[in-house]
Amino acid sequence: MPDDRTELALHWRLSRHARRLLTLALAGIFIATLARRPEFAGAAAPAFLLLAAGRGIRPPAISVSVRASTSRTFEGETVTLFLSAADTGAGPGDGSGSGAEYTVRWTVHPGRGLDPVGAAAADGWRAQLLLRPERWGRRRLGTLEVVLRDRWRLTEGHARLGLPRLDCYPHPAEQRTRVVLSRLPNRLGEHPARSWGEGTEFAGVREYVPGDRQRSINWPASTRRGRLQVNMFAAERSQDVVLLADATSDVGEPGSSALDLALRGAAAAARAYLDARDRVGVITYQWGGVNWRGPGLGKRQFYKIIDVMLASDAGWVQGMSFRRLPRAALPPGAFVIVFSPLLDQRFVETLRDMRERGFTIFVIDVLNAEPPARPGITDRLARRIWKMEQEAIRFSLRELGIPVVGWDGSQPLDLPLAPYTRRPLTHSGARR
Amino acid sequence: MNQSADSGRPPAAAAQTARAPVVAKRAARAPAAAILLGAAAAVWSAIPGSPKALAGIVLFVVVTCVVGSALRLSLGWIPLPDSTFMLSVPIRAWLAFLGMIRVPPWEEGTVLAALWLEVLHPARPWHTAVLAAVLTAYLLATHLADSGASADALRPQMPVLAAGVCLLALGAAFAMLPAITPGGGSALLRVVAAIAVIIAAGLAMPHLSKRPGLSGRPAGVARQPRRATPAG
Repeated sequence: MPDDRTELALHWRLSRHARRLLTLALAGIFIATLARRPEFAGAAAPAFLLLAAGRGIRPPAISVSVRASTSRTFEGETVTLFLSAADTGAGPGDGSGSGAEYTVRWTVHPGRGLDPVGAAAADGWRAQLLLRPERWGRRRLGTLEVVLRDRWRLTEGHARLGLPRLDCYPHPAEQRTRVVLSRLPNRLGEHPARSWGEGTEFAGVREYVPGDRQRSINWPASTRRGRLQVNMFAAERSQDVVLLADATSDVGEPGSSALDLALRGAAAAARAYLDARDRVGVITYQWGGVNWRGPGLGKRQFYKIIDVMLASDAGWVQGMSFRRLPRAALPPGAFVIVFSPLLDQRFVETLRDMRERGFTIFVIDVLNAEPPARPGITDRLARRIWKMEQEAIRFSLRELGIPVVGWDGSQPLDLPLAPYTRRPLTHSGARR
Repeated sequence: MNQSADSGRPPAAAAQTARAPVVAKRAARAPAAAILLGAAAAVWSAIPGSPKALAGIVLFVVVTCVVGSALRLSLGWIPLPDSTFMLSVPIRAWLAFLGMIRVPPWEEGTVLAALWLEVLHPARPWHTAVLAAVLTAYLLATHLADSGASADALRPQMPVLAAGVCLLALGAAFAMLPAITPGGGSALLRVVAAIAVIIAAGLAMPHLSKRPGLSGRPAGVARQPRRATPAG
């Protein structure tokens, strides 16, 4: 971030200390005049002299530089604000002495979802303050209040400045293993496919045919069978992975809500699959529309995916259609990993529709909240019906061949995925 | 101005832990001094007791303001949350109380009421001078407690304060001088003379304070930059 200096106009006023001294001085003189008692005029003398001696040159403006250590961060990471101030005139040491006569106090008023780490205020012409975003989102860091005080703290010059924006990314969950499709597209990658190819994983032996490389001859097998045998290796392919984050409902405690878990899980999956040289894309499903990014490769794709996810916000708009997605967002044969609390019936219908169109879908259930338990019979009955509905939704998805695993956000994603990472996930044979 | 050396630091937990007892002791000293000086001003302005009913009311105001100031200085450091929604009623009442004691100008009220109480009973001039000195010290201690600064921050103001105390004594001496002529004119003339001396000193003070040594350091030598101190 560039180190831009901003000139701030100062609004000067008496400090609280000066107002108290002024009260004493005026009250003393007033009472002395009214009561004709000179000792009360003497009572005003110390305060009056302090006020008179403390007068100084008030700079009309101050040059302030505010720089954040980063404009992008993950949840829970610390952002340092580097603050510096200078005279607007000839600068430090210009001989006017105003810089030495004044002290600067910085007070940061953090924006929504940001907490100061340690002190929220600091003194000095240069200072550093720490902020920590508690939740993902795109927001301003807050506002900065600059107070210039004279040497005796009798007058204060106030100015306010808006702090820069911060993109806070959801903190990716831990995921090291991956679910791989059984049938992979014919594209070089790192996942061993069922077909033979030029990979590194041993797949079997076959009889030598002219043209085979001599180094691939399996001599022990050739000795046993009496004919030349060559090793065969599995082809290594990559897959298209589309992460589908359901942002239609955000339930649960802020910080560990369904949307929080969905985005953290999607970020973890994006990182894991991009590390495996897969093409990864993202779709955020929300009632304001669908944000998507087509599958791509590389580290930059990870940040592009998170940028798309940051735009998601839970809301409700009637008539949103999921069928308008272009082919680039959801390529045929893609492996769709869904992060959803499965609370919205239309989203569930969309999953069913996608399954019927032949996509291999894997649902990670991020619902970790329930309706509050209340003692009334009606409440208990409603809660029970709600639970049964949820079970029915998950059952119907499993019946369609869509695996549904639950994830509470506290454990690594590897644990719920473990039953599916040991062997390739069977690809649907339905039409696309 | 030496800004290069004046570098603020982020709050370092280790350094804060090591200096915590010293800082806490120093931080508690100024509020305690302010509270004691406020109580002393209230007591001093109340004696000798006056039989007037108004004096009792004003004394009540003085005590109320001193207590309010003491509460503000003792509890003012407790941070108030931005949102009190969803908090229980006792906690909301406690937060409302904390917010309420910060608003009124308790110290100004103490000063005004104490001086008024002093007028209500026939005190001798030296008694009023002592009260004025106590009130000035009370305001300075309150300022130190509010700002969190040490007593060393007052060192550059010592010459000015000494001049003020001299004028305070001079004012008391004016009052103790016998009147030349009976009547109000002589007393008024003494008051005007005292005020004139104070105003003259006040007008001369900005020029005197720029002379070497008056502000605690020689002319042309910049003040040593203060280290940035995290304050919450």
